[in-house]
Formats: sequence, C-alpha cells, structure tokens
Amino acid sequence: MRTSTPSFSNLIKNPLATIITLLAISLLLLFLPPKFSNRIKMTCVAPIRPLQWATCFCSNSASNFFDKVISSWQETHGKKDLEQQVLQFKNKLVEQQDTIYKLENKLRILSRLPAENKIIKKNSIPADIIGYDASNFRKSIIINVGTKHGIKTNNIVISDNALIGKVTSVSGSNSVVQLITDPASRIPGRVVQTREQVILEGDGTVFCKLKYVPRWAKLKKGDDIVTSDIGGFYPVSLPVATVVENETKSGALFQSVKVLPRVNISKMESVLVILN
Amino acid sequence: MRWFTFFCILFSISLFQSTMMHWVNLGSAVPDLYFPLVVFYSFLADAKRNTIANWFTGLSKDLFSEGSFGINSVFFVAVGFFIWSFREILFRGHLVTQILITFIFSVIYNVLYTIHVSISFHSLRLSTTLWIIFICSSYTAMIVPVLFWIFNKFQPTQKLFFNQG
Repeated sequence: MRTSTPSFSNLIKNPLATIITLLAISLLLLFLPPKFSNRIKMTCVAPIRPLQWATCFCSNSASNFFDKVISSWQETHGKKDLEQQVLQFKNKLVEQQDTIYKLENKLRILSRLPAENKIIKKNSIPADIIGYDASNFRKSIIINVGTKHGIKTNNIVISDNALIGKVTSVSGSNSVVQLITDPASRIPGRVVQTREQVILEGDGTVFCKLKYVPRWAKLKKGDDIVTSDIGGFYPVSLPVATVVENETKSGALFQSVKVLPRVNISKMESVLVILN
Repeated sequence: MRWFTFFCILFSISLFQSTMMHWVNLGSAVPDLYFPLVVFYSFLADAKRNTIANWFTGLSKDLFSEGSFGINSVFFVAVGFFIWSFREILFRGHLVTQILITFIFSVIYNVLYTIHVSISFHSLRLSTTLWIIFICSSYTAMIVPVLFWIFNKFQPTQKLFFNQG
C-alpha cells in the first residue's frame, strides 16, 4: 500500500497554506529583537544603497539646478546662502543666550563648574542624505556614513547647528537616523526663556510637541527649545525647536505645546554626525 | 505573471519612494507608491500570486522604513487578500473603481498602521493623524491612473487573467 505525503511544492500550491506560511514568517520577523531585525534590514538594503545615493544625488542636483534657475530669474543670487547663514547665526544666538542664562545662574550660586563642553566642533563627520523613510508615519533618513567612518548607534546628528536626530542603526557605509519628528523620538529639553524642563516628542508630522509643560509655565510663540543635560545623552544647549502654538485646555494637567524644528528637515541635503 | 517584472517594478518603486517622493510632499504627506501595486495585483492575480506579491511589497516597504520589520507585510497580505476576496463583485477594469478602492483601502491600511504606531509610542495626535491619513490616501489614489497605466505596460493584465485559468 502506497501512502502519499504532501510535498512542499503541493503545499505551496495551496493559497491558504501560502498565506499562513507568509504571515507566520512576517510575525516571526515582527517579534525579532530590534537589534537583529535592524541588522537584517541593513544587510538586505546594503547593495541598493549606492543606487539610492545616485538617485538622491541626481534628484538633489536637478532640484538645485531648478532652484538656481528660479533664483537667477528673480535676480536674487545668493539669497539661499544668506538665509542659511542667518539661520545658522540665529541658532548660534539661541545657543549663546542659553549659555548666558547658565553662566548667570552659575554666578548667582557662586559655583565653580567646568565650562560647557563644545564637543560639536570636534569629532564630527559630515554626511550626505541618500534616502528617506518609505512610510508616511515614521520619520527617518539614510546617510552615507557608517561603521567604516566610526559611526555608532546613538550618535547625535545635527544640521545648521541644530539637533535633528540620532543614529538608530548602522551598517558598513551607511546609517539610519531617527529624526526628532519621528513618533518614537523623545528628547529632554529646556525652554530657553522660561527655563522649564520639557520632553520634546515627535508626532510623525513636520511639527513636534512638548510633553509635561506645567499649566503655569509662561510659554509664548517664538520661545526656543534647547537640549538639556538631563540624562546626559544629548550635548547641552543644542537648539532643537521653536514654539509655534500653546494651549491650556481646561481640566488638563499640562499645556499642549506645538513646536517647529529649527531645521527644515525636508530641505536638508547634508548633516553632521557627532561622534562620542 | 512574470516575477522578474514584478521585482523590477518593486525595486523601482522602492527607489523612487525612498529618494524622490519627498520632493512632491503635501505637508508631511507623500504618495504611497507601494499601495497601488498591492491593489493592482489583488485585482488581477490569483490568490496565491497575489499573496506572495503583496508579502514581498510589504517586506520591501519594511526594509526602507523605520520601525517593526514585518508589519507592512502582514497588513499588505491582509488588505490584498480582502480585496481579492470580493473583487468579483466589482467592475475592476474601470478606473473609477481602481481609484476608489485604492483610496478606501489606503485609509484602512493607514488607520491600522497608525494604531500600531500609537500603541507603540503613544505620540500621535488624533486630528493631525486623521488629516494626514486623508491627504496620504487621496494623494495615493490620485496617482493610481498613472501607476496602473505603467503597471499595465510592464505586466499586461490580459496575461494575468490568462494565467488564472
């Protein structure tokens, strides 16, 4: 008597078996620890990165070309550079203002603490953006530096002297940067003008929000948010965002504050990675 | 169904989505090029091919986006299978049907995805998120005619119907 066992090819011909198998694989991938899943992702996408870089480079070049054509048509050569310089100076000003506040405070309490570390200028690597997140609700970028250049997970990424995110996964020659606008991003911050401690949280849009701002905090439009030294993860006094809107709802424990990142993330082309 | 063509289309979509799509953004919303591909194969391929194609599409989106690896494959397989199951009652060759189905299921997919993100991070605002879902889905539905025309050129629908037997 011959007994027939279902072969793999017969099994795969059954649509239901295919669906169950693929869903099982997906669920297996879903429950992998982030460390492994990130490694799988980076390995799978590594061969495509050069092509991604080339496409991004071409699109950026085309965009720059059109920008130049438009700007020459409007007879405002160099306007963009000047705007960028102004933005950088403004961010510097915020940083300086924050340092002044700190120094005043230090003088007041007559403490002799060491001067602020300016680690940003040292140990930093410039990087080009070679890709963006494919999802509408997550915010990350891919940059063309990786472990070969000394990049590690959790390195801080800045642009125009302002914080834009941190490195979440690294491969040989590229890394994924989680932006401050990503829903998973949480940054300890401080309001420069009122000295309130806040948590800056991404919400998947171009804006971020501030959490745990007390009702009595006197925030107003245009107030600046910088990184605070709480947690010791981010460099101190890095400009992050500006308050755009704040509202105190009746019955709510905290204010609801909407902030705009200092850097227009959708228009960035290159960033600076700060090595620890 | 030619798998080589499918992977070429998927590769091109991934490349475009991860590099050039931010140039055509509306606020923070960009069109999702993957989703029309899911609808296209759900409309035209048989259950098994549709499932495999959607799984690879989801996996590709997972590879190029931050977050849980495998979540988009689950959603795309589920949405694709659902569309496939009732496609016979639709006039699926008509452009309006294709646009409407893409819009409706894009809304459903985005709602499911944002629920997942909200549960994971508790950081999405309801009103803003709903607005983004609407904009994204409308934007995705708007590009359906162009994308379906391109997909039809590379993967002729007659061939897909023929393969179903």
